[in-house]
Amino acid sequence: MSKDLPPPPNPAGFSLDGSEAYTITAEQNAALCRSIGCEPASDGTAHPIYYYIATQIGMGPSVAEFCEACDFDVDDGPMIVGSEVTFRQPLMVDQPYTVTGSINSLDRKMSRKLGVMDLAEYTLDLHADDMGEDAVVLESKTRWVLPRKELS
Amino acid sequence: MKSGDLLAPLEIGRISEETIRLWSEFLADPNPIHLDPAATAAMGLGHRVISQGPANLAYVINLLMANFPGKTIEKISTQFSDNVFGGDIATAAGRVLSADSDRITCEAWLEIEGRGRAIICEASIRLEG
Repeated sequence: MSKDLPPPPNPAGFSLDGSEAYTITAEQNAALCRSIGCEPASDGTAHPIYYYIATQIGMGPSVAEFCEACDFDVDDGPMIVGSEVTFRQPLMVDQPYTVTGSINSLDRKMSRKLGVMDLAEYTLDLHADDMGEDAVVLESKTRWVLPRKELS
Repeated sequence: MKSGDLLAPLEIGRISEETIRLWSEFLADPNPIHLDPAATAAMGLGHRVISQGPANLAYVINLLMANFPGKTIEKISTQFSDNVFGGDIATAAGRVLSADSDRITCEAWLEIEGRGRAIICEASIRLEG
């Protein structure tokens, strides 16, 4: 990071735990699948992209509150730049899931395209709480760029 | 399959504004850059609505499911490198990086006509239960 830039905020450890279960309904899954040209599975599994949707909607803070924790205005346009997921079990429709997670890090960088930006990384895991101790269904890690127009 | 083999491509066709609107609902994401071209222009991002990154990834996941029916996606690592706009013409494609009797690792991407790859993934597919 350039010496001329102010230090970034430090939201590492900010909890993203969800407080309410998220359920992928069969109807939602069918609508999503058909919107992208495929048929929903007949065995009760949901489209794998629900790894992102379920964790993002099921996390506790809203996206605006997440951005606030990073001292960033959501109206300035956060952008997803990376995502990783490891599935331990298939995602199922009509199964309540809960989310745990936290912000891992925030690093300030200079980009030729975006100017000053912060790179925020966070972890969200999805749990099927009625499936016993081995209830972690998936682990995900996401990276967003937060453009700092005011510093560019 | 073996390293270097190409996956059967999946022609997505034109990305419709209606699909982008639906994904705003699926993602509970009211960001106007997905709904209003004027909002996209105000952000300096062009003059068409922008498709959501997870929707773009979903097309690549469809490619993987079509090439490996009945198999299990274990891991996906994705880099989102460019925007996809309403009206863009897209194709999902990929190739095998490595393969053994248990799993296949692939590189897969979403190609936008005239602009190149908007997202690039590395995915691991388990072949056996």
